[in-house]
Amino acid sequence: MNVDWSVVRLVIAKDLRAVRRSKALWLPMLLVPTLLLIVLPAVIGLIAAHTASPDVTEFLHRLPGDIAGPITKLPQRQQVVVLINGYLLAPLFLIVPLMISAVIAADAFAGEKERRTIEALLHLPVSDRDLYIGKLLTAFVPAVAVSWIGFVAFALVSNVAAWPVMHRVFVPTRLWLLMIFWVAPAVAALGLGVMVRVSARARTAQEANQLGGAVILPLIFLALGQATGLLLVDPAISVLVGAVMWALAIMLNLRGASRFTRDRLAATI
Amino acid sequence: MALTAFCGTRHHLATRADDHLVNRADDRDVTVGAVISTNGLRRMFPGGGGLESLSIEVGEGEVLALLGPNGAGKTTTVRLLNGVLAADAGSATVLGIDPAVNGDAVRSKTGVLTENAGLDDRLTAFENLWFAARMRGLGAGVAKKRIDAMLEEFGLADRRDATVQGMSTGQRKRVALIRALVHEPEVLFLDEPTSGLDPSATRSVLDLIARLAGEGRTVVLCTHFLGEAGRLADRAAILDHGRLYAYGRPAALAAELWPGSALTLDFGRPADASQLAFLRTTPGVITVDADENGAALRIDDRGRVPHLVASIVARNIDIYGATVHPDTLEQVYFAIEALIATDTARQSSTEQAA
Repeated sequence: MNVDWSVVRLVIAKDLRAVRRSKALWLPMLLVPTLLLIVLPAVIGLIAAHTASPDVTEFLHRLPGDIAGPITKLPQRQQVVVLINGYLLAPLFLIVPLMISAVIAADAFAGEKERRTIEALLHLPVSDRDLYIGKLLTAFVPAVAVSWIGFVAFALVSNVAAWPVMHRVFVPTRLWLLMIFWVAPAVAALGLGVMVRVSARARTAQEANQLGGAVILPLIFLALGQATGLLLVDPAISVLVGAVMWALAIMLNLRGASRFTRDRLAATI
Repeated sequence: MALTAFCGTRHHLATRADDHLVNRADDRDVTVGAVISTNGLRRMFPGGGGLESLSIEVGEGEVLALLGPNGAGKTTTVRLLNGVLAADAGSATVLGIDPAVNGDAVRSKTGVLTENAGLDDRLTAFENLWFAARMRGLGAGVAKKRIDAMLEEFGLADRRDATVQGMSTGQRKRVALIRALVHEPEVLFLDEPTSGLDPSATRSVLDLIARLAGEGRTVVLCTHFLGEAGRLADRAAILDHGRLYAYGRPAALAAELWPGSALTLDFGRPADASQLAFLRTTPGVITVDADENGAALRIDDRGRVPHLVASIVARNIDIYGATVHPDTLEQVYFAIEALIATDTARQSSTEQAA
């Protein structure tokens, strides 16, 4: 049986309209990308342009050769900008798709229980699968869209703010491109898969967010690891990490789909 | 259903309830081309509760009242009939379709008002209705036209673009009712349609349900308001702890509980012992009790009332009125609940003794 895309579109439109009406939902989803992708690179670019740059040679020695090599050859003032905006921020950026997909998924799945709207939804003549796909895309599409739009803004701000130092376009780097087009959608899908599972048990969106919050921790460790040089994410590792995340996400979402049945949902409300 | 049916074990109670349906001793209970039909429908939940066995039939344009305390299995019944829950055993058809096999087909022909209005507070009345109408396959133009007309009809036109969050309980209920009706369903499942409504709105909703049934729509009404159930119901099913204890037309259920008709005699004061003794010996009187204004009787035939009143007058007893009361669904319900309570107590004492 084919997917009824008109149903899927209606579910997405309804859920996103509701999200837009909820400031508590969209405000954090706007603030975090703004801080990470606009304010932070702007500040770094401006600092690099107007202050004496720190010596990052020792830190660069700890990076893999294919990342450190090109940076080492740059003038010292450019090294900091390229290092931070070009590489260190990349894993931190993954918080954006993860957070957005998790928050919207919690609202779309557990939120229906919390608002006591789920029963009316279950009485509609739509298949479990169409409903599930609609709910998934409600979270996945905005997560990826905001990430990509945010990245365009990040690239613009990084290049403009650091222009006095760089005199050229230096973002996106290869790592960024991998993060944006390969790892970020995987992270969004993974966050979604986790939240679907968590939401099946949670009674409220807040409870789901708290339970699902655990998934954000590995990413923070990844970002910290990258920043301190303990865990180094180079393009090759990004490809691998992305592949693992996609595999986990597909597994979790397929499992979520098999458990997303009217009978199971109705039995728990 | 004989009175003895209410006095057996729980198992017998249920069995007799099923027998009543299956035997169809009364021609009025025969349902030609039943719109809703269940046979031994069962769904139990691991944590307890559910529906043990339901066998009922409801015809076109009939109103079935599902009655029972909280946890009786009313909502489970609606979910099973609408293909939202799958049955453990038994079978059901709604409009000739098995909800377990083709739930979407059933749901496309039914409308449901859930106990909680189930509207998204963040959306407007129109947006909530638009979503439901479009999900039910109505075209954009038809949906808009129909929603606007129904909002007007339900006195909500001025609240069309207001978010549900700011609406009163009554307004929410009316929006939810429109949602249940917007696609002109053939079968309606209404769970507590009047809870939270003011008296005027309650009357409007009851009139609406009667009108819908009059148009040929079949209505399953879950309610705790026995008065409204009595006013609307063609059939009643009384459930308790997931078990069907009584099912049938209210008058037939009453007739099996109590023989004859209820009659009250107004003497202006409670009947004294000699008056009660006289009444007991009067032909056609089955039972007599004193009440605050005279006596409450059950007589075998309302045709005996003129003769009974003449006898009272002949004995020089002042009589100010004699009224035959039809037995209400409320009386039937509480009588059956009392029998269930007695049966449950007997059952538990038997189990304790064992």
